[in-house]
Amino acid sequence: MANKEIVDGMSMQRALTRITYEIIERNKGVSNLVLVGIKTRGVYLAQRIGERLQQLEDVAIPVLTLDIEAYRDDREPKDRRQPQIDLNLNGKRIVLVDDVLYTGRTIRAALDALMDNGRPSVVNLAVLVDRGHRELPIRADFVGKNIPTAISERIKVNVRELDGQDSVEIHS
Amino acid sequence: MTQRYLILQDQSVYPGEAFGAPATTFGEIVFNTAMSGYQEIITNPIYHNQILMFTTPTIGAAGINHQADEAIVPTIKGVVTREIADVSTNRLQRMSLDAFLKRHNIPGIARIDTRALARHLRQTGTQKASIVDVPDDHAFDQLKAMVLPTNQVAQASTPKAYANPGRGANVIIIDLGLKNGILRNLRDYDANITVLPHDTTLEQVVNLDPDGIVLSSGPGDPHILNEQLLRLIRTVQSEIPLLGIGLGYELFALANGAELEELTFERHGMNHPIREQITGNIIFANQGNGYVINRASLKETALMVTHVDLMDHSVQGVRHRDYPAFGVQFFPDAAPGPIEATDIFAEYMEIVSARRGGSRQWLNEY
Repeated sequence: MANKEIVDGMSMQRALTRITYEIIERNKGVSNLVLVGIKTRGVYLAQRIGERLQQLEDVAIPVLTLDIEAYRDDREPKDRRQPQIDLNLNGKRIVLVDDVLYTGRTIRAALDALMDNGRPSVVNLAVLVDRGHRELPIRADFVGKNIPTAISERIKVNVRELDGQDSVEIHS
Repeated sequence: MTQRYLILQDQSVYPGEAFGAPATTFGEIVFNTAMSGYQEIITNPIYHNQILMFTTPTIGAAGINHQADEAIVPTIKGVVTREIADVSTNRLQRMSLDAFLKRHNIPGIARIDTRALARHLRQTGTQKASIVDVPDDHAFDQLKAMVLPTNQVAQASTPKAYANPGRGANVIIIDLGLKNGILRNLRDYDANITVLPHDTTLEQVVNLDPDGIVLSSGPGDPHILNEQLLRLIRTVQSEIPLLGIGLGYELFALANGAELEELTFERHGMNHPIREQITGNIIFANQGNGYVINRASLKETALMVTHVDLMDHSVQGVRHRDYPAFGVQFFPDAAPGPIEATDIFAEYMEIVSARRGGSRQWLNEY
């Protein structure tokens, strides 16, 4: 087992900055925008993007937390409950944020969870790392780093708030 | 040491000691407040045809070394300083500043009270100046008759396209008075660079199928550049990642409808904190500009402010809201200056790489 840092803190910050600019480009501004972070690390990344938008455009963008646990396809559907979103998503432009895009199953679950809360006008996906190996027809609109991996490897995103530092590690 | 004189168009006379070449020259006098980096500053083409005054008390102590060249030859008209160091212990040095200036026929003048002169220039604004042997009526008549060149960019730009090959993304630089630091930084990403002259046409750019376009820094008034370049910017910015630096940034702003204001005196130095708006990070960088964006004029444009000078609150960077096109007023290439602003090249090359190999459909439409 070897752990190797492949993205350092500076590069990670820059990737989030670039994603933020791309969100503005794609949405032609920030009106009606809602950031939804997928638990756990997606939430911190969504908050970082939210802070950047605030500092750049001087508007507070809602940043929501989404727990997709109940929507996972390897769980019994009866466990499902209404997720913790107290905002009507009808007509909103949503950017779903997660740390790593892998099989696509998490995103599928997140989309289901979102749709239970209304009908957004558009949902985009922002991920810090796209490591490949999709099992569902899902792709990201905003990618921090494309990191080709072997299935046997593991990608770990560290965030300052939780892990004490910003970095991306590969475990093989 | 020979006594010589620095004279200004407002009739002021500053006696000093000659160094460098014994030539008599004329030019606009500007001053730089940086404490280091005199060789990079002297060789930076943004000072084409200008007399350069340093407010730092001594220059020359590091000699001249070829790693610090920002152009093949310096094209300034003179150097004004308080003191020129005659001893250098820098292991990189190949010759003294004095010998370097002699070689390129550029006169220098030392023992000038540069702090008083800087204060004077801050009040009067940019002036024409001359370094002469005798400050008589004849010298002042000559100075008065001197006409400043308006084709600064045409003189500083390369007359012909040339390649600076790499194995990575295909990046075009439009040379408006390119400094080596920009090439050095892009080479860090192994970019395959083609440098094109300032009067390049859209067709020539499109034919090279670029992944990215960089508008270089350069000398002079951005307003005198022809409409062709502004049209080129407006056409390519929606399709190809664009980075403007210094004069290139000013043209990018003009092309998108912003207005520029001329400063009373040009501002050259590297002691102003600059805030990157999106992160709140503070950086320092080498600055050298005679114009700034009129902030109010941005309201009617698709540009947003990305960098702000915290000393005078001037706009130091803008970005297009709809396209991956942006620019900075300052020099991010760290030659001279702190390396923290070089991140701008990293950001730019990431965008270029991410979009590489995308649709080339638009190219066929020309």
